[in-house]
Amino acid sequence: MSTLNILIAVCAAYVCFLFLVAFVADRLALQGKKAWLRSPLIYTLSLSIYCTAWTFYGAVGSAARNGFEYLTIYLGPTLVMVSWWWLLRKLIRIGRTQKITSIADLISSRYGKSSLLAAGVTILAVIGTTPYIALQLQSVTLSFSVFAAQENGAMPRSQADLALWLSLGLALFTVLFGTRNLDAKERHDGVVMAIAVEAVVKLVALLSVGIFVVWGVSGGIGNALSEIDASDFGHWHADRSRWAGLIFLSAAAFLCLPRTFQVLVVENDDENHLRTASWAFPLYLCLISLFVVPIAVVGMNVMPDGSNPDLYVLTVPLALGENGLAMLSFLGGFSSATSMVIVAAIALSTMVSNHIVMPIWLRLRPSGASVSGDVRAAVLMARRISIVGVVMLGYLYFRLSSGGEALASIGLVAFCGLAQVLPAMLGGMFWRGATRLGAFAGLTIGFVTWLYTLYLPSFGVGTILPASVIETGLFGLTWLRPDALFGITGMDQLMHALLWSMLFNTSAFLFVSLVTFPSPLERLQAAQFVNIFDHSASARSWSGGGAQAEDLMVMAQRILGAREAQALFASHARKQGVGGDLPDPTPNFLEVLERELGSSVGAATAHAMVGQITGGMAVSVEDLMAVADETAQMLEYSARLKEQSEELSRTALELRNANQKLTRLSIQKDAFLSQISHELRTPMTSIRAFSEILRDTDEMEPKDQSRYASIIHDEAQRLTRLLDDLLDLSVVENGQVNLNLRDGTLRDALDRAVASAGIGEDGTKFEISRDLEKENIVLHTDLDRLSQVFINLIANARKYCDAKAPRLAIRVMQEADRVVIDFQDNGTGIAPEAVDMIFEKFARVSDQKAGGAGLGLAICRQVMTRLGGSVDYVPALRGANFRVVLPYRTALAAQ
Amino acid sequence: MTERKTRAGSQAVFHEKRTYRRRRVMDAARLAPVLALILWSVPLIWPQSGDGTVSSATALIYIFAVWAGIIVLTWGLSQVLSDRAQRHTGSETGTDT
Repeated sequence: MSTLNILIAVCAAYVCFLFLVAFVADRLALQGKKAWLRSPLIYTLSLSIYCTAWTFYGAVGSAARNGFEYLTIYLGPTLVMVSWWWLLRKLIRIGRTQKITSIADLISSRYGKSSLLAAGVTILAVIGTTPYIALQLQSVTLSFSVFAAQENGAMPRSQADLALWLSLGLALFTVLFGTRNLDAKERHDGVVMAIAVEAVVKLVALLSVGIFVVWGVSGGIGNALSEIDASDFGHWHADRSRWAGLIFLSAAAFLCLPRTFQVLVVENDDENHLRTASWAFPLYLCLISLFVVPIAVVGMNVMPDGSNPDLYVLTVPLALGENGLAMLSFLGGFSSATSMVIVAAIALSTMVSNHIVMPIWLRLRPSGASVSGDVRAAVLMARRISIVGVVMLGYLYFRLSSGGEALASIGLVAFCGLAQVLPAMLGGMFWRGATRLGAFAGLTIGFVTWLYTLYLPSFGVGTILPASVIETGLFGLTWLRPDALFGITGMDQLMHALLWSMLFNTSAFLFVSLVTFPSPLERLQAAQFVNIFDHSASARSWSGGGAQAEDLMVMAQRILGAREAQALFASHARKQGVGGDLPDPTPNFLEVLERELGSSVGAATAHAMVGQITGGMAVSVEDLMAVADETAQMLEYSARLKEQSEELSRTALELRNANQKLTRLSIQKDAFLSQISHELRTPMTSIRAFSEILRDTDEMEPKDQSRYASIIHDEAQRLTRLLDDLLDLSVVENGQVNLNLRDGTLRDALDRAVASAGIGEDGTKFEISRDLEKENIVLHTDLDRLSQVFINLIANARKYCDAKAPRLAIRVMQEADRVVIDFQDNGTGIAPEAVDMIFEKFARVSDQKAGGAGLGLAICRQVMTRLGGSVDYVPALRGANFRVVLPYRTALAAQ
Repeated sequence: MTERKTRAGSQAVFHEKRTYRRRRVMDAARLAPVLALILWSVPLIWPQSGDGTVSSATALIYIFAVWAGIIVLTWGLSQVLSDRAQRHTGSETGTDT
């Protein structure tokens, strides 16, 4: 079997092995055996996603070409990892508590959930990552071609076919394991495990080649070192600006690359893993770069001139006849390429689907996101399509660039592009004053500068940017030349682009942030991000599933009721096949529970409650706003209910009062009827009796006759008066009364009333006090009717005042628009329960005191209403107090 | 916890010795990247030509020695700032000195 066929077989076997690893890891994760899957070691190894095929092959090539510069690519990330305590810990805490799914999500979330910003970062990431994916495809096809060249000088299939099949395979793998579930935390156990395995393969391969080169070829460390000194490396020489600039660039890229962000923040399961990774990942990087120089030196010595130094890792063992080692080395490169493509595709697809496809899809759909299951399926589909799209975009780029040399330098170009996110990211994490507009301005300017000074020129002169622009600048302005902005020439193109883009980016970000004002949501998020350690609970507050399930149970009981909650938990425990009544808090169960709770307390509240117990995650501002919204709705509803019930009870009270009044009235009516019939019968009886005597007695003394006749007359008069009263009332009530309006003073009216009612028939002494001066008010009204009211009030006072020395005070007060006349006696007054009855017809305060027919006050009120005023009973400190009010238009001051 | 109180309420000027130690370790953890950056910037001042140039082997050994040193230092600090330390301080933010 030829080497190439073995290679293909090994490759296929390796891919199958990766599928198996990912599959098993996913299964284990589903069964909840995450402890081993999510160890600090796995986390550290998964970070090696930073080291792509560009690293694996390119580092040696870079060392052979540029000396020590390759080291900077690893020193930057090492510095970042060493900064774990103040930088990464915060980043990861933010990622966990805010449920960050990608770097675009981080930026958008920090700046008030700006979808525009998210889309911008996503586009930047796609533009920056696509060439990178192409680079991986190129490295794999290149390494294949090395074996093919050794075999018979020709590829069995064209490079493009190989790249196509490779991309399809990678897309399949990513779709299979990257979109299994739509976990809110976006963790992919299978993928992470496969990447960790690939990390080991990479390291072992490179170390093996290195050890072989140092001990097998050079013959020990000392010899290797002297060989280095003797080689082209000679003495230390490095472009100083590139040394510093590349350290910065690689550090920035390590934080901002979508794939590293994915494993560093999104896939992180436990903050404590960072503690191990802080030293273990630098160690990994150190080991990866340890043998790069020796391999390069040996390569330069062993390989013929003109051979590609990028492939020394592969060609050196092959040239020295170590086919097995070459195979291992090939697998290392293959691993680097595949893992990069897989994670980049996952990270990018998350961004593309969340921030570009879904918003558009939701907007295009007429009904919006009403059915949750529907959206879920759509998100998964969008993600799958995005994965295939991203990988195919990389393939397309590879085809279009035809695998040229330009691709080799694209790694740093991409780094520089993605580093544009850094100011907005760090500013958002450490500075509360950073605003959305600032971030947007910085990103835009940085992106445009990068595009103009580095990305577009990287395609070569005349491809996208015309040669004239390169030579004489944009619009013929020489200070706008893409490789010499402001006429500063002589700088390395990458450093030139990095310097200006970061300078413009940061300045714009800072300046616009300083002069703009953030929205409330932004300010809340800013506080959340910057003071993350104040806001978020310690990530590990719950240990073991038992405690969680119990807490969920307690909460569910409180909300759903004990029996319902127990039934729900027990049925799920049975379904899961778990002993006891407490099911494991699997995503499925949590979903059901959340829905159940949601029907009682609202979806957002339920989500927050469950999240608090299971994830230990802080509630995001959006959650809080949703909760507040729900609560407000409930409050409003309950307030409305309360209002309605209050109104009902008010109505009921009124009805009850009315009923009581009616009952009392009915009783009094009965009493009045019996009274009036008595009143009518008594004079009738005497009239009949005396008229019978007059009729039947023939001889009668004229004196007796006249006495009897006068009795009959008196009684008839009494009857007439009674009937007059009744008639009077009905007339006044029906509004048929004719008012005899004329001018006169109040004093006259009162005088007349006091004269006719002030002295009792029995001559009881009744003292009336008046202020004659004040009574001097000219009225234009029906004075007779007014006197009638006064007479009634005075007569009432005389009749009912129970004081030993009855006294009545008549006080007149002239106010702005009315005249008030108070009649206050010194008796005990009217009982409160009788107050609302006294103005009713037939109402009498007591049955004992046989008074009139109980019509007097009713008539008074009717008369006063006719006159445009009122008469009321005013509760006084002592005694009864009636108040007559006359409107001013009928009262004109005499003065 | 104590940290929170210190931040919110009256600023405690002195801490007990263990708390003090722990804070200095946190400071060290913050400074470690600065140290690494400075040490790795040393090659910038090495002469590029003429007398006193540094041989490639020496340069390589220097850079990797710094690397090893920084790994050991970070390992040590991460051990001290372990769970135990974090439990005691709660969520660390300590801007005080």
